[in-house]
Amino acid sequence: MLRFISSVWWNFKEYLILILLLVISFISLSLNQNPAIKKVRAIAFGSFAASTAILSDIVNIAKVKSENERLREINAELMLHVNKLREYGVVNETLRKMIGLKDTLKYPLIPALTVSKSFTIAQGTITLNVGSDNGVKPGMPVINEKGLIGIIYATSKDYSIARTLKNFELKLVVKNERSRVDGILKWNGEDLVIVNVPKTYDIEPGDRIICSELSSIVSLPIPIGVVVGLQNVQTGIFNLVKIKPYADFSRTENVFVIGVIESKQKKDLELNFFKR
Amino acid sequence: MRVLYIFAIILFFPLLLLQSTLVPLISIVGIIPDLILILLVYFTLRMGQIHGTVLGFIYGFLLDMITGNIFGSAMISKTISGFVTGYFYNENKLDFYFKSFVFSLIVLLSSTIDSFVFSFFSSVELEKSILLRFFEQGMFPGIYTAIISLVLVMFHPRRNPF
Repeated sequence: MLRFISSVWWNFKEYLILILLLVISFISLSLNQNPAIKKVRAIAFGSFAASTAILSDIVNIAKVKSENERLREINAELMLHVNKLREYGVVNETLRKMIGLKDTLKYPLIPALTVSKSFTIAQGTITLNVGSDNGVKPGMPVINEKGLIGIIYATSKDYSIARTLKNFELKLVVKNERSRVDGILKWNGEDLVIVNVPKTYDIEPGDRIICSELSSIVSLPIPIGVVVGLQNVQTGIFNLVKIKPYADFSRTENVFVIGVIESKQKKDLELNFFKR
Repeated sequence: MRVLYIFAIILFFPLLLLQSTLVPLISIVGIIPDLILILLVYFTLRMGQIHGTVLGFIYGFLLDMITGNIFGSAMISKTISGFVTGYFYNENKLDFYFKSFVFSLIVLLSSTIDSFVFSFFSSVELEKSILLRFFEQGMFPGIYTAIISLVLVMFHPRRNPF
């Protein structure tokens, strides 16, 4: 028996090792949501991010000049917008006072810098140089001046990982700003799409897509992108709406984490409702 | 052999540093070369199939731990890549491999398999045809990685560095 096992091992050891390692890998796939694994990964990426932060700073310094020019341009545009918004704000405040609505515009912003990026086709993630010590928690939205970048997925003491919209695991409830139609946005490995949209829904190319208040992840009206086209128009009963995101994920550097997880409050409220 | 393993692990970290900071700057329509895979192919050709398979597993494990990938996806793809690359192991042909385009061709094969398997285990989109997925998520990153691996062929020292 021993001789048989020994001969099998010597003849097929490459395959046996491969099978063993693949079995371990497959078991690992099922341990993704394990809290202990999550904790170890947070420590691992936190330690590595500390070193990537240094290299990333050097890279960023080299790009500061072009970045400054771009920011000045955006600044000028924003200044014009701000002036306009101020006027609207004054009018809005007066109107709100008149109808007694609560002000919902104050969100704490935590500035952050991207220290590393992982752009695999299906799982886009970025590492930020802010962590739990800065008040960042999983579930908080990450934005830049153009719109939503992603959602914080895991945090360590000083760093955090955010899943970008180009991550198939991130699915968001979004809304058409014009027609107020809701849908579910996801990344299909190639495009950002709103799936299973009934053909009767009013969605047209050029419409702005924002986060919906129905979302349990991001319920703030953060811009996401613009509709560029509809697919499956001829066949089936649902459309696939293709979205071009405002934010350029590959060139994202300076971002902000919005320091709120509204969904938790919402969930608590909903749970309370059911517990009653 | 033990020295080679130590070098393989030590070199992994600075290369991953480059992979996550500088390499995204040379992305072409979202496709980036995989420096870690070039390193894996290099050491597999030096150490043999079994060690290459184990090294692929270790690289995949470290990648999954450090990046935000699905835990296990890179482990599977890199293990298979190390195993496939191991078929090209031949002590007498090492010089030929590292000083010719053959190295890039091995990288092309290995990287294509790696990218394709990785995309398969990290994506739930099964609507696309396998062939289309193979080209988009396997071949294109593979070709880009193979092109970048030419740098190693061009600058590989005449004498064995290890």
